[in-house]
Amino acid sequence: MAQQPLSSAAQPTDIYGGDEVSALVLDPGYCNTRAGWAGEDVPKSILPSFYGHSTATPAQNFFGDERLIPRADFEIRNYMNKDSVVEDWDVAPKIWEHMLINRLQPDKQTAPSKNGLNDDPKEKTQDGEGDVAMEETENQEIEKLLQENPLLVTEAPWNTPKAREKTTEVIMETWGCPAFWLSRTPVLSAFAAGKATALVIDVGGANTSVAAIHDGMVLKRSIQKSPIGGLWLSSQIRSLWETSEPKVTLTPTYMVENKTPVDALAPVQARLRQFPYQIHSSFRAYEEERVLTEFKESVVEVWNKPGRLNSPGNEDFAKTLPGRVFEMPDGWNQMWREQRFKLTEGLFDETAGYPLPEEERVGKNQTIPALIRAALEAVDVDLRGNLLANVVVTGSTTLINGFNDRLQNELAAMYPGMKIKIHAAGLTSERRFGAWIGGSILASLGTFHQMWISRKEYEENGPGIVEKRCK
Amino acid sequence: MSSSDVRDVLNLSEGASGTRPNKKQRLAAPRPNLKGLAREVHNLGGDNPIAIVPEVTQFKKRRFANRKPASRWEMRSFRNTARNDSTLILKHWRRIEEKQENQGSPAEELKQENGTQEGQAPTQDGMEDSTFAKFNAQVSVPQYSDDQYAQTLASDTWTKDETDYLLDLAKAFDLRWPLIWDRYEWTPPATNGEANENGDESKAIVPLPDTQARTMEDLKSRYYEVAAKMMAVQKPVQYMTQPEFALHELMAHFNPEQEKMRKNFALNAFTRSREESREEESLLLEIKRILARSERFNEERRELYSRLDYPHAETDISSFKSSAGLQTLLGTLMNATSKKRKTLPGPEGASPSNPAPPQAPVQDPGRRESSGPSTGNREPPATGTPTAANKKGQSQTQQPPAERPKLTEKEEAIYGVSHHDRLGSGPTFRTEKINKLFSHKSNQQQLRINNTLNELDVPSKLVMPTSATTLQYEQLLGAVNSLLEARKVSDKLDGEIKIELAKKAEREKTNAPPDSENSKAQEDSSKENTEKGAATAAPDAEATSKLDLTDLDDVEEGDAPKNTKAAGAQKEEEIGVEGKALRPGSSGASNKRSASVLSTASDKSSKRQKK
Repeated sequence: MAQQPLSSAAQPTDIYGGDEVSALVLDPGYCNTRAGWAGEDVPKSILPSFYGHSTATPAQNFFGDERLIPRADFEIRNYMNKDSVVEDWDVAPKIWEHMLINRLQPDKQTAPSKNGLNDDPKEKTQDGEGDVAMEETENQEIEKLLQENPLLVTEAPWNTPKAREKTTEVIMETWGCPAFWLSRTPVLSAFAAGKATALVIDVGGANTSVAAIHDGMVLKRSIQKSPIGGLWLSSQIRSLWETSEPKVTLTPTYMVENKTPVDALAPVQARLRQFPYQIHSSFRAYEEERVLTEFKESVVEVWNKPGRLNSPGNEDFAKTLPGRVFEMPDGWNQMWREQRFKLTEGLFDETAGYPLPEEERVGKNQTIPALIRAALEAVDVDLRGNLLANVVVTGSTTLINGFNDRLQNELAAMYPGMKIKIHAAGLTSERRFGAWIGGSILASLGTFHQMWISRKEYEENGPGIVEKRCK
Repeated sequence: MSSSDVRDVLNLSEGASGTRPNKKQRLAAPRPNLKGLAREVHNLGGDNPIAIVPEVTQFKKRRFANRKPASRWEMRSFRNTARNDSTLILKHWRRIEEKQENQGSPAEELKQENGTQEGQAPTQDGMEDSTFAKFNAQVSVPQYSDDQYAQTLASDTWTKDETDYLLDLAKAFDLRWPLIWDRYEWTPPATNGEANENGDESKAIVPLPDTQARTMEDLKSRYYEVAAKMMAVQKPVQYMTQPEFALHELMAHFNPEQEKMRKNFALNAFTRSREESREEESLLLEIKRILARSERFNEERRELYSRLDYPHAETDISSFKSSAGLQTLLGTLMNATSKKRKTLPGPEGASPSNPAPPQAPVQDPGRRESSGPSTGNREPPATGTPTAANKKGQSQTQQPPAERPKLTEKEEAIYGVSHHDRLGSGPTFRTEKINKLFSHKSNQQQLRINNTLNELDVPSKLVMPTSATTLQYEQLLGAVNSLLEARKVSDKLDGEIKIELAKKAEREKTNAPPDSENSKAQEDSSKENTEKGAATAAPDAEATSKLDLTDLDDVEEGDAPKNTKAAGAQKEEEIGVEGKALRPGSSGASNKRSASVLSTASDKSSKRQKK
């Protein structure tokens, strides 16, 4: 007998465990900040953590990719540092507000008393004072807007207690949320993969982290962190382009006014845009990063055949593999063959890869296999087998072709006797926003209601409560 | 357009038109189902309905089955009683329960709903409680007071503060040891004087090197020690329930050293090389294969044994040397195999497939097996006797009953197998037989038997009538019977002897020539013999009988008490044999010929003499 789908009223909440209380989930990272409603499968609002800052008076911040365009006196900043910990506490609440309120909440009608239409024309003369009043009401409205929504914020597992307390203060004092929770990204990534116990390998933009999760809690001693990630890969690509013959110059898209297609390795025929003002180097770097990201997405691959790239014979074999052509914004194009494998080799082997400046070089114990080994050695031996059978791979950089196969090979070589199972979401969005999705799941669970730190608890204990509760 | 028009167009004959009204009537039933275009198309077929009209009444499933107004939802506040603070009130969308359906206008309904709707599980202020509150489960960690700690839990390696810290962690992490160990950062509070002066500095301590070194086993053993001791304090060990005691034992006997060894083994297994793991895998596979093979081998062997297991012949096989004998042998074997296959070898079950002769040994009454009075497959009495008689004859002539292995006497005793000549219908009690022995006697005799039994200190009813005791009791009764018989006879003979002696004395008084006396005595004895009607009596009966009788008296007086006192098993057996021999007589009528008694008595005496 065919089972009729249950109507929404009769859905057994005790099985699905969902009970949505219109909670918000905020997942700040170095490259992107994600925000959305709990219970959804993808964040509604994704903004780069880079923001534009106009140094001209009055100083102004520009949030959102579409507003990061060439301007005078304009520089690109990031409110996070490369450890994925919030650095600029002046801007962070603003950009978060922008995402949580302006981008997620519907526009509210201004109260008739405030919208200016009913103002007495006589009062309009006192301009300055009126503006101040407007500011105040806006702030109040912001408070009201978040007063209904519990907020779950993610944090890097090595987040400092100070940063956590600051986050708590912002949430409770500035926005007036009824409840909040701070959760670590590896835990949430594991939840997104449907696992409470997992070894989470998160290869993100600014850094790579490996952490063991046991029963929904991160094992602190197992947390391993390394700067190899998207940015490190970018510098590998830069190094490749510097050293390749002929040298490849990187011209970001915004500088190209028009171009004519040229043959491979032929000189560029393009006219560059001229700006009447100085373009800040940070803006150029941000724009270059876009091109590099495109290169990573379309050309870079991970060696996923048996052995490593520098194993005997493998490099010759890599040369015979089909290459990929990449066309720069200015029209320069070139076929990339074995180089595209060598770029990522440094993720697994610190001696391979392209030479980097001293400060960006990674040590022997900062490659992904070393991180995994260190993380596993820091947990109880009873857990290791289970962790290896539940390896969760997340982070955008893992989307590079062949990454999972290579990781499987490396793990199999490291732990030959163990059962190793890698769980990597198939959908691009799930891999990119793993931590946000985990937060979305967690915050929409009915059993999570008892976990939220409520306003009253915050008022009784102060911001220190976050250290006590969110362990 | 009707079918006649179509017929016109297609130049079909109108021959069938006569029958049309009838057919139309017949078609009237399915027609109402069709509407619109479908009916028109159907009509085109006329008498021959078109079969290709698809029966799809709607092309797309209607999305909303009911046309009721959409259900209403509301943002409903609720709280979660599992929380420590009850101030957090969250809101979720819930459907408004429609209590009165289809009553009144929607507006009224709405009002009613708003008035009546309530939370499912209202808390004290009427607000709904979260359905997930019930999932809140917490571990209970042992509690102790300062005194209790000092009394039972004091330890050299653990301070009270650290123990408290451990128990707090255990509670916070719900006894998940990997987490407890992971987060274990015990920093003993500074105890020097300056720390007390400025409170903030008190936490600036140098962590002791050994606190970091606490292994998970240390933590576990301390916790289990505390838990087990507190358990014993709260409830002494002897009052614990079984699971409690098991838990206590488990915790009290936690062996950290063993755990450490186990973890070292696990570590070794973890760092196996590929070759080692492969070897281990192959060895495991080999073991599995060997086990599977041996299992199969055992199976085959068992099957072979069962094939080799044939019914042994108990008698000589000369009867099978003729063809008829072979035929019956075949029947027997078939019967035996069919019996083996059947779990319950009822005679009814075996009969339809087999011819009559092979059944014979099964039902052979002489060999019928009876495991007890309640045997299920006993034949009904009406048909049982004739067939049994029939087959008895057959089996005696043809069938050597050799279809099952013979049990030894010991086995029979163990299994309680007994053989009977004939069983009455239905279940019977063992004691019935004894009762029968009683009830067949006259009242006087019963009285006498009872008196004798009383003399012997044997109760007239068996307390525990097992088969052995009933058998003994039967024998005892038989012996008592024969004793009574013998006494009667001896009394009678005594009387006769006295009379004869008196006669003799009289005669001697009157005439005393010796030889005539002798002949007379002989005449007397022959007279006596004819009186008794015993052909087997000795010619000098008077002397012998006297001797025998006194002997018998001796036996009776001496034996019976010995029997009851169970002086020796051999004696009992002897009496048993005698009882058996006597039974036909004793169970029979009271006026038996005394010669038989005499002969048995002489038997007995001869036996005695032999001994």
